[in-house]
Amino acid sequence: MTFKYFLVTVLIGFIFYLLLLPRLDLLRKGAIFLVVLTMLVFAIQPDWSTSVAQRVGVSRGVDLIFYLAHLTLFFLAFVYFLKFKKMEARFTKLVRELALDRARTGP
Amino acid sequence: MPAKHLGEVGPETFLVVPAYNEARVIGGVVSSLLTTFPNVVVVNDGSSDDTAAILKELPVTVVNHYVNLGQGAALQTGIKHALERGARYIVTFDADGQHRVEDALAAVHMLREGGCDVVCGSRFLGTTSNVPRTRKIILKAAVRLANLTTGARMTDAHNGLRALSRKAAACLDLSQSGMAHASEIISQLRQHKMLIREVPVQIAYTEYSLAKGQSSLNSINILLDLVIGRFLK
Repeated sequence: MTFKYFLVTVLIGFIFYLLLLPRLDLLRKGAIFLVVLTMLVFAIQPDWSTSVAQRVGVSRGVDLIFYLAHLTLFFLAFVYFLKFKKMEARFTKLVRELALDRARTGP
Repeated sequence: MPAKHLGEVGPETFLVVPAYNEARVIGGVVSSLLTTFPNVVVVNDGSSDDTAAILKELPVTVVNHYVNLGQGAALQTGIKHALERGARYIVTFDADGQHRVEDALAAVHMLREGGCDVVCGSRFLGTTSNVPRTRKIILKAAVRLANLTTGARMTDAHNGLRALSRKAAACLDLSQSGMAHASEIISQLRQHKMLIREVPVQIAYTEYSLAKGQSSLNSINILLDLVIGRFLK
């Protein structure tokens, strides 16, 4: 039972943190808020996740959350990979322009 | 060393040499190039050894990458610099001493004769082939794959010696910073319908160039880079 309280505290804390974040646009904020709220509901009422899972053909609620978490993390890894590649390209350009500006011919 | 019968090369020809930690050989390689080519551009790709200090003493143009970016990025920087200085012909040449100056000269002359936009060195063309066996197998596989994906018909895919006309060099916009640039160069040239010819060259497989060069296992990384590159396009 204690873990439940811990989880609920963390999630509520996260919601407050999210509301205070100024940099995110409303759409993202709303999406994250929905996800955290769902997590909160499932933390308080774990049986509900099972009934949702069975409706989509997964037997246990924990399994459904496990699958969804996997997909989300994979998606995030991919997004960050693309971001990294883009940053690398910009970095290359920066180093190149600096090098070209300071090219010099020896004695 | 310079092949006298082929004549001199004017200042409209630029030699681009990407160098990363080549302090042991760069002085000798550049000096031998200077006997034939007046314009040598060395791109010091963030070397952590004395490469920069050695280059300072030589009458060459040095372009310094502050951090190491990779050979593809270094080539692109050197080519851009040469184009900005009005080069008509650009030759790429490895810094580790594996190429021969006379082969570079032959490539430039072939290019100047006209009839093509690019001349690529091939170690598998012509009579002599001193390529180590495992390397040969991997290089041949790389050639097949490159030909398959780019539609070109080449005999060597990863040769650092090439001569490009100004028009061909201007087509290049390399995004493969690492070693996958070799295939990328061919595919970009093909996209712009550049005519590619090959010239037989010899590679000096010295202990140094073999140690400094790519490990054969790196072919897997190159393959991965190319696949990822396709997805990012």
